[in-house]
Amino acid sequence: MSSHDDTVSLSLEDICKQFGPVKAVDGINLDIRQDEFFALLGPSGSGKTTLLRIIAGLEHPTSGRVMVGGQDVTFMPPYHRRIGMVFQNFLLFPHKTVAENIVFPLRMQNIGKAQRDDRLSWAIQLLRLQGLEARYPHELSGGQQQRVSLARGLISRPALLLLDEPLANLDRELRAEMEIEIRRYQKELKIPFIYVTHNQEEALTMSDRIAVMRNGVFEQVGNRTEVYQKPKTVFVAGFVGQSNQMEGKVDKVNGGFLAFTWQGKKLVVPHAGDAKTGELVRFMIKHEDVQIEVASRKSAIPGNHNSIPGKLRDIIFKGQTVNYLVDLEGGMEIVASGSPRDMTLAAGDLVFAFWSQDTGSSFKLG
Amino acid sequence: MAGLLNLLYVFLYAPILYVVFVSFSEDIVWPFPLSLTSQAYADLFSNSLYADALANSLILGVGSGIISTAIATAGVIGILRYPSKRRTLIIVIFLSPLFVAELLIGISSLAFNSRILGLPGNMFSAIAANAVEGIAFSFLIILSQLVRYDWQMDEAAMVFGARPARCFWEVTLPTIWPSLLGAFLISFILAFNNLEISFYNLGAIPTLPSVAWGSLRFGLGPELFALAALTNGFVFLIFAVMYVLMRTGLVKFGYRGK
Repeated sequence: MSSHDDTVSLSLEDICKQFGPVKAVDGINLDIRQDEFFALLGPSGSGKTTLLRIIAGLEHPTSGRVMVGGQDVTFMPPYHRRIGMVFQNFLLFPHKTVAENIVFPLRMQNIGKAQRDDRLSWAIQLLRLQGLEARYPHELSGGQQQRVSLARGLISRPALLLLDEPLANLDRELRAEMEIEIRRYQKELKIPFIYVTHNQEEALTMSDRIAVMRNGVFEQVGNRTEVYQKPKTVFVAGFVGQSNQMEGKVDKVNGGFLAFTWQGKKLVVPHAGDAKTGELVRFMIKHEDVQIEVASRKSAIPGNHNSIPGKLRDIIFKGQTVNYLVDLEGGMEIVASGSPRDMTLAAGDLVFAFWSQDTGSSFKLG
Repeated sequence: MAGLLNLLYVFLYAPILYVVFVSFSEDIVWPFPLSLTSQAYADLFSNSLYADALANSLILGVGSGIISTAIATAGVIGILRYPSKRRTLIIVIFLSPLFVAELLIGISSLAFNSRILGLPGNMFSAIAANAVEGIAFSFLIILSQLVRYDWQMDEAAMVFGARPARCFWEVTLPTIWPSLLGAFLISFILAFNNLEISFYNLGAIPTLPSVAWGSLRFGLGPELFALAALTNGFVFLIFAVMYVLMRTGLVKFGYRGK
């Protein structure tokens, strides 16, 4: 790690941050590559914002090192780091116009007027802010303020752009639009973006890699499909995507699979690694991995699938998808999610919820 | 209820208006029947003592106003930006001069400045002594406004390359200056109008309040009424300007974000 690799633009080495008795960040190691969009995903209080502030230099780690471009910046003040940042509440300077706000980083770096104007028109164009240069922040909509904030973060072409929940204050429609755009900027500019969010959809939509953080540690770091499809811990499985949960004692371990009994049904699921016969496991499967079939067509369910009978309680129509809520005999519920095209089912129908034995993840409990 | 309120206003402002009224009358003891003259003002301006006194009071006011505002601003920013367990204690220390009689501040600052610091009673000593009270008032005014200031704004400026001094100049000051101006005006007026603190530290050097007080010994002269009317008019003007600035939205006190 100490040897400098040109493709690595940020390295965190064993970062810890203690606030009194609380360990906000607890031994974080991370390398961010030159051209990646990296999401730090976690619930509030997980330490992700503290970690971001340590990278920006607004907070010093209790121990560990921060390296930017091979240089140790652990104790360098923020104004020497040349890192761009976009804040949750935008933090535009209220007494400065849009143009003044955007060129602020360049002025602080004593860059000449001609070059400033050049870069300003580049940023205005990139973020489609034409015509707003002379306005004040309070005269802008939330989306425009966010664009200005992004322009200010990007104008000095920083070594790294940090984004601290930048879309949290925007309404849903605008958020979806900005998600795509922010990812486009990152791909165009090839500057590494570190994006902090508690919103798993945002993280999945935008990033190349995701770190799921909880209690100051990374629960899992991996590319987005990996984190989504192969969660390493119960927490990640529950936090990313929407899952059904089933718990039971392992009856048998067989190669890559284990069998356990849940609600009187024998289920065969992928093996958790170290769970042995007799131990308690939790099996988690995403809603969209569960399918549904009317009871009369049970024979249509292929052999290597788990299936559980139940009664369709309700169908939640969500536009792009449909959620089927299935009541099981024991009072439990399974949710299956599918495309709305084949809506031949109705509430009250007897159905089978079924899924392939090699989908989902199981975790040893305790 | 409205009648009672009007009565209260009459009670508060009638004496001040009466002074203004009398200052334009020929007979100051019984100004009726009405006979207007500006003789009192002519007397006031022809007496060089009053001009000296006015100059001294202005120096005192401006000097104390600047020192008070600067120290109070630094104190408030320190308290708000660097939270400490002793925050309450620090606030109490800043505000405690409010609870000390001005007379005592005057006597004790005279004794301390001359005996311990070796400063004779002079303008510097008087400015410093007045600033003791001015700091407390300024601190209160600035603190009440700056609690609403978002210090993340300064963090943002620093991430974008502003060193602390530049950050204060570019980001903090343009946002908070109205409350600093308010604090300056209040501490200016306090020192300008002060008798007890200034008198002990200045001795024979005249200020407007000390001249007015001294001339009492020879009975109330008409020029005193003129002086009182002008001083009140001046103070009123300052507040009127502040009011208009705030009312028209040209100046808004406190943080103007979101």
